[in-house]
Amino acid sequence: MAPRNVNLFLVALVVGLLNGWASASSDTANLTAPELVGEMTQIPVSSHAVVAESPVFKPAESFFSLNLLAAFPDDLEISEYCTQLLHLFGQRYVTYVNCMVPSARPVKVCQNCFASYGSLGAIYHNISNEMGPGNVSCKDSLLRKDRLMLVFLLYSNLKEIWEISVCDRCVIKDKTQDYLYKGLTTDTLYFMEALNQSLTCFEKFLGNHSELCKQCKITYRDLNELYGRMDKNGTLCIDIEDAMNVTRGLWSKKFNCSFPREETVPVIAVSCFMLFLPIIFYLSSFLHSEQKKRKLIHPKRAKSKTSLMNIQDKFS
Amino acid sequence: MANITKKVSWSSRTDESGATGEGTPLLNGSEQPQYSRQLPGGGSLFHIGRLSTVDLEEEMTSDEDSLRGRPKEIPHNEKLLSLKYESLDYDNSENQLFLEEERRMSFIGFRCLEISRWVVCGLIGFLTGLIACFIDIAVEELAGVKYQVVKQNIEKFTEVGGLSISLILWAVLNSAFVMVGAILVAFFEPIAAGSGIPQIKCYLNGVKVPRVVRLKTLLVKVFGVICSVAGGLAVGKEGPMIHSGAVVAAGVSQGRSTSLKRDFKIFEYFRRDTEKRDFVSAGAAAGVSAAFGAPVGGVLFSLEEGASFWNQMLTWRIFFASMISTFTLNFFLSIYHEKPGDLSSPGLINFGRFESDSVAYNLYEIPIFIVMGAIGGLLGALFNVLNYWLTIFRIRYVHRPCLQVMEAMLVAAVTATVSFAMIYFSNDCQPLGPDHSEEYPLQLFCADGEYNSMATAFFNTPERSVRSLFHNQPGTYNPLTLGMFTLTYFFLACWTYGLTVSAGVFIPSLLIGAAWGRLFGILLAAISPSDSIWADPGKYALIGAASQLGGIVRMTLSLTVIMVEATGNVTYGLPIMLVLMTAKIVGDYFVEGIYDLHIKLQSVPFLHWEAPATSHWLTAREVMSSPVTCFNRLEKVGTIVDVLSNTSTNHNGFPVVVHMTGSDEPAKLCGLILRSQLIVLLKHKVFVELARSRLTHRKLQLKDFRDAYPRFPPIQSIHVSQDERECMMDLTEFMNPTPYTVPQETSLPRVFKLFRALGLRHLVVVDDENRVVGLVTRKDLARYTLGKHGLEELQLAQT
Repeated sequence: MAPRNVNLFLVALVVGLLNGWASASSDTANLTAPELVGEMTQIPVSSHAVVAESPVFKPAESFFSLNLLAAFPDDLEISEYCTQLLHLFGQRYVTYVNCMVPSARPVKVCQNCFASYGSLGAIYHNISNEMGPGNVSCKDSLLRKDRLMLVFLLYSNLKEIWEISVCDRCVIKDKTQDYLYKGLTTDTLYFMEALNQSLTCFEKFLGNHSELCKQCKITYRDLNELYGRMDKNGTLCIDIEDAMNVTRGLWSKKFNCSFPREETVPVIAVSCFMLFLPIIFYLSSFLHSEQKKRKLIHPKRAKSKTSLMNIQDKFS
Repeated sequence: MANITKKVSWSSRTDESGATGEGTPLLNGSEQPQYSRQLPGGGSLFHIGRLSTVDLEEEMTSDEDSLRGRPKEIPHNEKLLSLKYESLDYDNSENQLFLEEERRMSFIGFRCLEISRWVVCGLIGFLTGLIACFIDIAVEELAGVKYQVVKQNIEKFTEVGGLSISLILWAVLNSAFVMVGAILVAFFEPIAAGSGIPQIKCYLNGVKVPRVVRLKTLLVKVFGVICSVAGGLAVGKEGPMIHSGAVVAAGVSQGRSTSLKRDFKIFEYFRRDTEKRDFVSAGAAAGVSAAFGAPVGGVLFSLEEGASFWNQMLTWRIFFASMISTFTLNFFLSIYHEKPGDLSSPGLINFGRFESDSVAYNLYEIPIFIVMGAIGGLLGALFNVLNYWLTIFRIRYVHRPCLQVMEAMLVAAVTATVSFAMIYFSNDCQPLGPDHSEEYPLQLFCADGEYNSMATAFFNTPERSVRSLFHNQPGTYNPLTLGMFTLTYFFLACWTYGLTVSAGVFIPSLLIGAAWGRLFGILLAAISPSDSIWADPGKYALIGAASQLGGIVRMTLSLTVIMVEATGNVTYGLPIMLVLMTAKIVGDYFVEGIYDLHIKLQSVPFLHWEAPATSHWLTAREVMSSPVTCFNRLEKVGTIVDVLSNTSTNHNGFPVVVHMTGSDEPAKLCGLILRSQLIVLLKHKVFVELARSRLTHRKLQLKDFRDAYPRFPPIQSIHVSQDERECMMDLTEFMNPTPYTVPQETSLPRVFKLFRALGLRHLVVVDDENRVVGLVTRKDLARYTLGKHGLEELQLAQT
């Protein structure tokens, strides 16, 4: 548990630092794939980017300035291209986190935030793989220059969240662009529709629970079966699981539509009958079966002063 | 009266000698008086003339005989020794044939023997692993089908009503499986009943248990255990694995199957009790190793049970067999689970991995563990006492095969009923796990998306239940569920063990222990002030399982190592050892371990480690059987045939004596010959007269004795004509010329030690002039036990 907490704290910290808490809602609308690609290509390129020579830390300079970055002369530490990538990464990171937090309960992280996750993945891919202009790679300077490896850490935390929630099962990958997602799968949409049907039905009979149990049974059962099928196919993501859990909770706990325990008498009767059988069996075998007797055989022994009688005498 | 000298019976042939052989019981009520009446005068019929000491207390015989004339019949109890058990011939007979063969054998020959021992051990391991794999897969598939059917049925009837039908369906399915298993055992091979560990213990102790290492026994055992586990009884498949391994070993090492009448003409040298018993210990080890994935535990099990005959090379070979067996099981299971080459499921029961950080233990937990050990010892003693009374009742009253089958079916039906009722009335609902760790989740009246937590314990094969008790998250079971489960399963398991089905007691014990251990852990966490990590219920489940198992079976070293190996966690070595020690100490205060109890109830002449204390005042004179039937070195064939075919005395070993020519004094001991050797001699008609007439007659070799092993023909099947009866037989070449002897004044513990350490079968008692006075056999020693009122003597009985 402990490492996870630290990670979440880091996420929150960085979000706060970079952007402040912005109210963000679903960002699917304002960030679409082509737009992102365009944005990427427009990154200004500094052709004279110099590769940092050595990661030597210079403590003397830090005394003169509070801004650590500015203290390194000639942009030795990081190229302009990379700075821009880093900035972009920060923005998209914030967008994604801003999207996720409001979708935490009820869980809608997959359906709401797949686009921003895709764009985050794309920029991270750029950082880690792509060669920038002048064959400059930001991989070394951004990702593994220091012990902390903050960018890597931030991204891997979000990636882990994405993987735990198995959102990949509910969204379709964009075939043309790596790391980008097109939209929800048809299975997911179909499930959402079925779910909506059930929920509308629930709403309709909200006042009368017994009526609700009767009327909505079919839609609810269909929904349950659909869920079971998807479970077998392995097309469930956290959104669907959570939605189903909530619906089941409503059905069973709130509306009390579970099966009642009403056959107690027959079950007890059959059980008693079964339990009675062995008693009869043992009694009858005790009374009617002839008891097995063993025939004793007297071994030949040399008679002597200390015979069996003496043993008994000695120890009685 | 001179004929009943010792009570070693010759009864391994009861099964096929049929009506002629021992269809007439040796000493039944109708025959006995007649026989005893013959004794005083009718001595002529059996009078052999070479009885060394005929006249000890002749006056006593008349009233003794009248006492003997009324055969006393008593109900079966644990203070009896059965006549049907004999000793193994572990001691080598160093007769002239043996010496000749050894002389003929080259250096290469001995090397080949050594290599073939290794080959045999490898084969034993391989085949045992295969059998374990077969049992595992068969049980999994059958139980899977059964639980699926019942689950679907329950789901259907939960909705529309009529759950009592599901209950009946479950009970009927269980009974049907168990019926097949029980019929197999009761009608085809009763020795395959139970776990087989007591029988193997006896075998390793040196007792020849009839039919225990036959191919038929193996088949019945394997299919019986599949049926009983799939039939939902409170049993495990681990004990039978040990028996199966032993049978495999006994079969493979002989290079032939007498049942199938196939002789592969290999491993002929191993066809004697000495070698066979060594291989059987390897087989038992391989069985343990396959059952628990514990190769070292297997070796130690054999060491613990048969340790008096042990050497370093044998240990090493046994370890080899164990390793091969685990490896084989592993390999084939990995193929079955479609992960070929992944060797991570070592045993039939896999306790799963205990992650070391979440279940670490601390010094202050040691006293708690010891308390748990004491509880385990108490519960184990209770289990054993209940089972002991039940077993006595079964032996006395439920002895007809059809009754036994009925009883097993009833137990199966009641097990299903009780399980169903528990599940039905349980209110403990838990949310479904994300990765479907529950194999057959039953919803019943729980909310959707939840399952009945009682059902994971009852509606499952016992192995899986154990694993879920060890590893499920804290909070998976609520205390009431665990308490009810422990209580019912305790009585079910106690009732089940000893039924006429082949099934073991290991897993039920573990399950009971794991349940109350987990309960203990939960309660401990509830009363401890802070919710610290130390009261992890899984850890306490493990400790509880160990202590319950220790309290029931009372094994020590080997069980510790088996548990440590099965959990794959050496850090638990100390707590498990402490717990097992405490359980054994507490339990032994009340009653013996369950295997020892069953050995006693089967009236086996079992020799413990040492002679009973306070027995030093007993000397060989009181212990021995006397007088002894002896043969002359040059004996008349008719006499031998008469002695051998006398059904009332089933002697197995005969001292060979020489008479001083011309003197009247009793003869002196010069050797010992076994019944089996005499039979082979008679069969090949090795008579002095014939040898003279037929010069080309092939000389008898050791091979001829081995070919007849282990099922020597009964004397009735050997025809000796009237002319031949007058011939003479020279026993010099064939007898063991140097039998072990003791003087009459030797104390019982000394005799005992000699017997136990050398694996003897006959020990001749001689006087100071080397004249035979008596003969000590296993039953003469085993009859002394230390009871509650001091030294007690067991009685010999016909069973």
